[in-house]
Amino acid sequence: MRKCIRLILVVNLVAALGLGAVGCGKDKKESKAFSPKYDTETEYRLSVVGTYSNFESLESTFERFYTYYPNGEITYTYLDDYRNTIEPALAGTEPPDIYVVQPWMYKDPKFAALFDSAEELSDADLEINLDCIRPGLRWEMEGGKILTLPVFSTSYGMLVNQDIFEKEHLEVPKNYGELKSVCDKLKAAGYDSPVMGANTTTTPGIGYAFAYPMFAKTVADDREIEDRLNNLDASAGEAMRASLERLKEFVDSGYIDIAKCTAEIEDDYNAVIMRFFEGDVPMMLCSGDVVSGTKKRESKSDAFVAKPFAYGFYVAPSGDEGGYYMDSTSLLFCVNKNSANLDLTNEFVRFLTSEEQLGIMAQDKRLITSATDYSLDEVYASLADFPKERTISFRDTEILDTAVKQFRAAAYAIANGDMTVNQAVANYGTIPTD
Amino acid sequence: MKKSYIIIINILIVGLILFFIVKYANDRATESNRASIASFEKMTTTTEQIIANYLKDEQHLCDIWSNYINRSAEAGTPMTIDEAISFIRKAKISPEISGHLIYIDDGSMSGISTNASTTDPSDYSVNYSQIHIFENLEISNVEGVIKLTRAYTNPLNGVQSIAFLNNVKIVDRKTDKLRDGLIIRVVPVSRLEQKLVFLKGEYEKVEISLIDWDGDYLIHGKSLKNSNFYEYFRSYNPMSTQEYNRIVDTIREGIGSMHIQNSKGEDCVIAYTPLRGLDAWHLIAYISSKELTVNRSIDWLLLAIVSVGLLILLYFNLFILHGFNRKLTVAAEAANQANEAKSYFLSTMSHDIRTPMNAIIGMNEMIRRNSHEKKIQEYSEQIQNAGNTLLGIINDILDFSKIEAGKMELIEVDYTPVTLLNDLVNMVQNKAEEKGLAFQLDVDKKIPGMLRGDEIRIKQVITNILSNAVKYTKEGGIVFSVTADKAEGKADEVILHVSVSDTGIGIKKEDLDKLFVAFERIEETKNRNIEGTGLGMAIAQSFLHMMDSKLQVESEYGKGSTFSFDLRQQVVDWEPKQFQSERTQYHVPFTAPEARILVVDDSEINLKVFVSLLNETGMQIETADSGETCLSLFRRNHYDMIFLDHMMPGKDGIETLKEMKECQDTPNRGTPVICLTANAVSGMREMYLDAGFDEYLTKPIDTGRLEQLLLKYLPSNLITEVTEKHRILLVGSNIARVKQVAEWLSEHYQVAVAKSAEQAVAYLKKHETQLIVAEQACEFPIGLDEAGMLRICLEDIDKKEILSQVNEFFDGRD
Repeated sequence: MRKCIRLILVVNLVAALGLGAVGCGKDKKESKAFSPKYDTETEYRLSVVGTYSNFESLESTFERFYTYYPNGEITYTYLDDYRNTIEPALAGTEPPDIYVVQPWMYKDPKFAALFDSAEELSDADLEINLDCIRPGLRWEMEGGKILTLPVFSTSYGMLVNQDIFEKEHLEVPKNYGELKSVCDKLKAAGYDSPVMGANTTTTPGIGYAFAYPMFAKTVADDREIEDRLNNLDASAGEAMRASLERLKEFVDSGYIDIAKCTAEIEDDYNAVIMRFFEGDVPMMLCSGDVVSGTKKRESKSDAFVAKPFAYGFYVAPSGDEGGYYMDSTSLLFCVNKNSANLDLTNEFVRFLTSEEQLGIMAQDKRLITSATDYSLDEVYASLADFPKERTISFRDTEILDTAVKQFRAAAYAIANGDMTVNQAVANYGTIPTD
Repeated sequence: MKKSYIIIINILIVGLILFFIVKYANDRATESNRASIASFEKMTTTTEQIIANYLKDEQHLCDIWSNYINRSAEAGTPMTIDEAISFIRKAKISPEISGHLIYIDDGSMSGISTNASTTDPSDYSVNYSQIHIFENLEISNVEGVIKLTRAYTNPLNGVQSIAFLNNVKIVDRKTDKLRDGLIIRVVPVSRLEQKLVFLKGEYEKVEISLIDWDGDYLIHGKSLKNSNFYEYFRSYNPMSTQEYNRIVDTIREGIGSMHIQNSKGEDCVIAYTPLRGLDAWHLIAYISSKELTVNRSIDWLLLAIVSVGLLILLYFNLFILHGFNRKLTVAAEAANQANEAKSYFLSTMSHDIRTPMNAIIGMNEMIRRNSHEKKIQEYSEQIQNAGNTLLGIINDILDFSKIEAGKMELIEVDYTPVTLLNDLVNMVQNKAEEKGLAFQLDVDKKIPGMLRGDEIRIKQVITNILSNAVKYTKEGGIVFSVTADKAEGKADEVILHVSVSDTGIGIKKEDLDKLFVAFERIEETKNRNIEGTGLGMAIAQSFLHMMDSKLQVESEYGKGSTFSFDLRQQVVDWEPKQFQSERTQYHVPFTAPEARILVVDDSEINLKVFVSLLNETGMQIETADSGETCLSLFRRNHYDMIFLDHMMPGKDGIETLKEMKECQDTPNRGTPVICLTANAVSGMREMYLDAGFDEYLTKPIDTGRLEQLLLKYLPSNLITEVTEKHRILLVGSNIARVKQVAEWLSEHYQVAVAKSAEQAVAYLKKHETQLIVAEQACEFPIGLDEAGMLRICLEDIDKKEILSQVNEFFDGRD
């Protein structure tokens, strides 16, 4: 009996010590990760508005924030007609505490209020760790002020079915020469169209995903042409030549069957993913936004459920030296400096601005993180350590939307044989975009 | 029962109690949970009523606006858009609510608002062209029908709102034409949410959501992620498409509740109900299961206290049990020691009494065999009776010990009932006669010739009854009756009805129960002079129980008793054998002059008894007085059978046997070795057989049993069976001459002598004889069988002549 009691006491003591040690360790780890600045019993109600109709990854971040500040509620609301309603909302009776902006809104008088209302996140008093954001995405405005927090980034490239490459004993191509070689082998192995994509004029479309990064690099390397491009000066059309010629060469070589793509891929998002999940497409051109939809659609694809495979996002290897990585912001948050709960709003942004939280959010959304660490999502693992000389961040160019649309229309026309490269170059500025 | 079993049973009982408590608590919890969920559902329907009423009221206000505008149009004085808005501006009370009026007939979806834009106080224009809320809405001006949009962003102030709609007719002053317009009563969603504040009291953490047909939220609960409830549900509750569709249909079609998992994998409950008057809208009330079960009526503290209490009780019981066990162990050890002492005492008593008894009975047997003197024969018989009585007492004690230990077993053998009855009569008749009691024998002539059963135990039962009858009867007589009937339904069985009636002292009714109680003697004081252990009837009843029978007693105090029982026996031979009550002279059943026997016993007198008893068989019997001598002879000489005593000084019988078995250099490998012992306590037979003996024979030696063993184990070629000699009664007055002739005849016949006709007649009453040899002058009563009589001249006849005549007589008969 005494022996038994002694044993129980020893076990309890050891358990208590063990739990204590674990508990101490946990506290230490949490304090290193995030330490609340305010009373955690503070009651609050915050609202975030944006353009996503569904923003579950952000809502999951709210849940994680609640573990520190449990007595509050943060809601995310999709605003109809965001371009027209965000400004009245900021001036209205129920102004949002956090709202979404896009780079193209900057300097547009219509959206001036969005930036005027934005809190300066680089204010040292806020203790927001903006260093965790990739420098290319960190948007410093006049006076080095940072008003926006890039939450996600995006890019353009292709989804690669890694199981097919493994089965055919092939490496994912890193430059155009390798791409041709791989496509030849895949065709020989029975893949009629080794590369596919949405035959549209939109950003996830074939022409844009394959050729635009090369065009952007051309512009980034010669920014003098930028103004003429933005002014739709026909003489600036020459800047498109190299990238369009490469697109033309690629399509003509038969590595991508445009007719097949048109027939089998009805839209530039859902159909792209579902066709890719059929499992017989080695490379699918698309944007990062398309990749974000893959996670939820895995279970909706009977083919993928029956025969799942590994896949990843890669930069399309359109250049002789390699592909070009467009490191673009996808979504930016601003804090409403007139917020009724400004302290807690800033606190939430401080919580969000970390490698971990941004990484988890990006992983949940399956978009590219804006933080420096790509490691959380294997799909984007290929982007880590991508050569800087072939990386174009959104700040490297300032090509206006109208100019971009000219390129997209040109690329579409060339891919479909509606226009020659010379015609596209010559007609820059007047290429129909509808 | 082993201690471990008791512990296991205790643990099982405690476990069972805890199981039932937990089960009861769980049942109560389930019941409580059901009640909570029912209450939660009720709250949901109440909420639905509140919301539905509110929406109905708002629609009604919108209807008032539209009715006013449309009646003006119907009256021929249609309002312009500005007039209509001006009217609404005056009609509406709440500043949060605004009215929008837009043209819909040209698809512009633009118009004006009662309130200015938040960004420009002078701008009242409103445009819904980029806000897609009117799709799938059929707007008809039917009173009471709610025409409600999804939640959308009010283009003038960016506030999430819902809108109630109605068609209106307004006039365009530019063209003076009536145009189709849409009046929109815009209500902030937050206003609707305020209606749900009342819930906080009852369900602190409940979250109310309103969803449309597709699952898109109008009001979004805090914990429900995604913009669409069904997508949220599917994301965190993996299931097949069919299952998912079934659940969506369930929510769309009725009122109820279900458990779901939230984004954290926690169990939650949702209650759902459609909004009355709005087919496409549903109310979803969400709450964590933990919150719902907070008020469960399970007293976990009580449960824990009961559990701990039971465990303490268990431990306490085990502790007490352990103490009792220790005491019991001590008591059991003492009892074991006492039992061992008793066994040792019984064994010793049995052995020590049987050893001299062997000599007494054995030597007496020799006297009986060899003496023809009547007086000596009588003395010898009395010694034999006394010996048997003493042996009976010892046997009773040993048998009772066996019965108590549960070691008594029946040993069934084929037996001749006539012989059994003969033995019984011979044993009892003398005693009865000595007491002057009449002994009447009534034996059924139909009793089969051979039966199968435990002869020894049957004999013992009847002996006990008969002995009691003789002992407790002072005058009158005893009637011993044995009859047989065929057993019904069993062709090879017979029922023996055995009955012993006496005219003895009888038994009082109140004493009848004591009759079969061991060591209980009825009217001990009165009967103290009557010998007995008080075991006889108890043993008899026990044996009969073992043979599926029961001893019945009918008694009248002072007049006598009748003891009877029925016994089912298997029949081996149905042919009856004639029963003859006679006293028989011993006749050796076989001779075996070539057989060599070794008998080992440390008692010289017992060796002598053994040799004497088998003297007439002519066997070559060698004796050894120790184990060592036995082994020496065993190695040297061949023997056909060896009788070996157990308890001997030096090397005992078992040790000697062990060495005999191990001995390779001997002519006696395979020679049967019989244990000859005075140790007759229960279990000894098994012990000796286990030790390696072929058989077991107790002392005092039962001659019949000894001869049976010899016949069984001796090689048959060494045995010559001896037929019984014809019995002759020689009658003559010249005693010397009669003795001379008797001696001549004794070589071939069994001869009895009588000196007168009267003496001969008296002899013949009790004995059977096949031939009477009498002198001429001897006169016998009329009726005596002359055919069995040979008249001779006793004085002149010589040996040859007499033998010739007698031989001729028997040859003629055979």
